Amino acid sequence: MLSRDEVLKIARLAKLSLTEKEIEFYQQRLGRILTYVEELNALATADTSVVRTIPKDAVAFREDRPMPFSDVRELLKNAPASEADSFLLPQVME
Amino acid sequence: MDFNRLEILDLLEGYQRKEFSPTEVAQSLLTSIEKKDSEIRSFLQVRPDVTLDAARAVEKRSSEMQKLPLYGVPIAIKDNILVTGWQATAASKILKNYVAPFTAMCVERLESAGAVILGKTNLDEFAMGSSTENSGVAPTRNPWNTDRVPGGSSGGSAAAVAAGFAPASLGTDTGGSIRQPASLCGLVGVKPTYGRVSRFGLIAFASSLDQAGPLTRSVWDAARVLECMAGYGGKDATVSRSVVPKYTENLNESAFGTVRNLRVGVCTSWLEGVDPEVRASFEAAVEKLKELGMRPVEIELPNVKYALSTYYLVATSEASSNLARFDGVHYGYRTPNPKDLNDLYCSSRGEGFGPEVKLRIMLGTYALSAGYYDAYYGKANQVRRLIQQDFEAAFEKCDVIASPTSPTTAFKIGEKISDPLTMYLSDIFTLPANLAGIPGISVPAGVDSGKLPIGMQLMGRHFDESTLFQVAYCYERRRGALANPPWRSKSGAGA
Repeated sequence: MLSRDEVLKIARLAKLSLTEKEIEFYQQRLGRILTYVEELNALATADTSVVRTIPKDAVAFREDRPMPFSDVRELLKNAPASEADSFLLPQVME
Repeated sequence: MDFNRLEILDLLEGYQRKEFSPTEVAQSLLTSIEKKDSEIRSFLQVRPDVTLDAARAVEKRSSEMQKLPLYGVPIAIKDNILVTGWQATAASKILKNYVAPFTAMCVERLESAGAVILGKTNLDEFAMGSSTENSGVAPTRNPWNTDRVPGGSSGGSAAAVAAGFAPASLGTDTGGSIRQPASLCGLVGVKPTYGRVSRFGLIAFASSLDQAGPLTRSVWDAARVLECMAGYGGKDATVSRSVVPKYTENLNESAFGTVRNLRVGVCTSWLEGVDPEVRASFEAAVEKLKELGMRPVEIELPNVKYALSTYYLVATSEASSNLARFDGVHYGYRTPNPKDLNDLYCSSRGEGFGPEVKLRIMLGTYALSAGYYDAYYGKANQVRRLIQQDFEAAFEKCDVIASPTSPTTAFKIGEKISDPLTMYLSDIFTLPANLAGIPGISVPAGVDSGKLPIGMQLMGRHFDESTLFQVAYCYERRRGALANPPWRSKSGAGA
């Protein structure tokens, strides 16, 4: 079981607002899972080489060539609020 | 004509002989969906006009049929894969009205091969789940028995093919989400090697684990879809540049010669706790592999018992990062009347995400947070390396590894939803392949006493889908037809 403060801290980091019921729910659920995964601490892993997940011939780079993007209007179609070519948000600064 | 029971190969042959046309097939399947999917709930969106237009456009290219390996084949697409003009909701309220502005590379390749998009299918929200009960819309039902789950997270994709609504669908697999629903729905499902299929256009869950792949009713069909959808395409830094083999070329009599004398690894200790009927079916399947001339070899996978813990730290950490983009700003759900920008973020996400998604985001955030990063995420990555090494060692002794795909058959809707760990344990056999990056295929092995399907999983070396397909194909031929699958009932859908 995680403490209420711990859950609220995680929620703040994750930018998630939680109801009172949810806080209790996640205290219990997160606690249960974190207890389960403690089993990994029993394993000796000091000598393990770094994990590699991508194929050896995958190349992360492409030619540094500008590729102008013309579809701004397409992207704004999904915006919750927009004005001209911009997304609209609450004022951030005075 | 009843097109529900036809496989891709049957469709291609029928088109060749001019027995029917892509428009007729598409129309027939759309009618089936309209009549019967209210019971199954496999689709989240269908657009009959768009599908029929696409079918007509493909028909205009009938003279090039030979060059279009999926000419006129209708395919359903999981709703976490983008297709221009179609919704992409990931079955989440937070993306309720999102319309995709571009098409995923793997889908673009299928369309270039002549395929026709039939619709978007249901899933567990953001692909997080093993039953499709976490869908933000509604659960999908298993066409073999509608009180039961189809598996997840690609439950809609699996149910659509099992019900006869589509000959093939695309799913995504991060911890087993193609293979497990394939097993529970009596289908063939393939998770390719990590880096075989481009992830461009997938709504990301865990970037080092996600792969898109096919669900079909036959091994040949899965091979045909994969050979069309795989490959680099220019927009994914994690995809192999190697040429994609033509997997279907070897799926004929010659495969029997190839698989004879291959060694099949079985890890007996891994099978503890599996449902007795599933275990019996798996052992019978291994006997059939022996009849094909394959040699079972006992292997050890000492660290797979830690796969669940490893996965639930690695995948959730990556998910917490990938889902940070859903903030109410650029697309998706925005909370009405936010107090300020921070409230806009927190309330949009708090209201828009479902409970399992929030659970996993928080778990991942915790595992990556200051003071805990090394103990949780760092440690999990080290254990991941141990699991990879287990498979490297095992493949010195064998050529493919066999296991049941799922420890149980399809469970009842509502049965496992109250305890997350019970649900997570559905994936014990599928998780390791994602962690190791190796390919896996589930093939139907039989049914239990309740007539629910049981699947056998085969795993192979990196980029050795060819061997997996050949073994699976020979096994499928040896096994024979499945008795009374739901896609063969009149007009498809539920049993």
